[in-house]
Amino acid sequence: MILTGPKIQKEVLNNNIVIEPFDPSQLNPNSYDFRLGSKLKVYKNLELDTKNKNETETIELTSSGIILYPNKLYLGHTIEKIGSNKYVPIIRGKSSTGRLGLFVHITADLIDIGYIGRFTLMLHAVQPLRVFQGMKIGQVTFWKVFGDIKLYNGKYQGSMEPAASQVYKDFKLKD
Amino acid sequence: MILTGSKIIEEVRNGSIYLDPFEESSVNPNSYNYRLGKDLMEITYDVNDIKVLPIQKKLTIPDEGYVLRPNKLYLGVTYETIGSSSYVPSLIGRSSLGRLGLFLQITADLGHIGTCHRWTLELTVVQPLKVYPKMKIGQVSFWVPDGLELLNGHEYRKEVNSYAKFNEPTFSLIEKLFG
Repeated sequence: MILTGPKIQKEVLNNNIVIEPFDPSQLNPNSYDFRLGSKLKVYKNLELDTKNKNETETIELTSSGIILYPNKLYLGHTIEKIGSNKYVPIIRGKSSTGRLGLFVHITADLIDIGYIGRFTLMLHAVQPLRVFQGMKIGQVTFWKVFGDIKLYNGKYQGSMEPAASQVYKDFKLKD
Repeated sequence: MILTGSKIIEEVRNGSIYLDPFEESSVNPNSYNYRLGKDLMEITYDVNDIKVLPIQKKLTIPDEGYVLRPNKLYLGVTYETIGSSSYVPSLIGRSSLGRLGLFLQITADLGHIGTCHRWTLELTVVQPLKVYPKMKIGQVSFWVPDGLELLNGHEYRKEVNSYAKFNEPTFSLIEKLFG
């Protein structure tokens, strides 16, 4: 079951959902709009390897925004710190950004229960698209769970800026 | 409602969820990490007629890895056999791979209740990306349905079985879309 907007607000007040800063005007009937933060990260190399650490460089957005180009991945972040120890968040684009061909995540919409931090956005544009910091770029929904809760305590916990992939650590563990 | 990791473990033990091989270390707070099988298929469709059988180039991902190229579609397969007769599976990527620009399916994340097989993955990348066989590549979550009892014996079951017999990367049964 998915939470309605008023229920999201109630659970923010009850501290069962974290959304900071929280502004009721960003509530929708069954989701909350999050905004694009000022920092983007891009990988230095074109060809990436899941087994190695892929170095990134940081781009600070200015008031003129930035054009996202196809065939390049941009890691962004939400301005808001978001999470819950009671519900599972699932993120989406907004239909207004989807209608412009913008992906805000890449088949990884499901957030672990217990993750609390800024969400890393996986920005990918189908056609070149200019985006701006502070714009409402996506939405988060909250879902009820079935079963005992064990909270997330993984490698991306508490991120405050775009967090590049740490999947290479899986291979290190095995070796 | 979405199952928590603890509930997934419980239901695997009860036989209500099938995940084989199953490792508790692959359980997340509300999903299970599946691995990439070694079979891969590069697909080239005839743009003029999708009813024509696509060119399928079968590959085996070597231990030293294989680079997926942008603007191409690859069909992969999960290493695990995955299914449930009680819960709805939703198969997505993992954020660690999304952060590298890898799509694990193409907006078709929803599984059918009752299927149990190695799932075909629809892989495409934003930038070239090297992947390895048996790496943890995506995650599957399980959802509580409403109306499960109405499904038994229903003709929807036929639909459920159309891809479920396959355990290798399986191209689109395009005729399903036209009739």
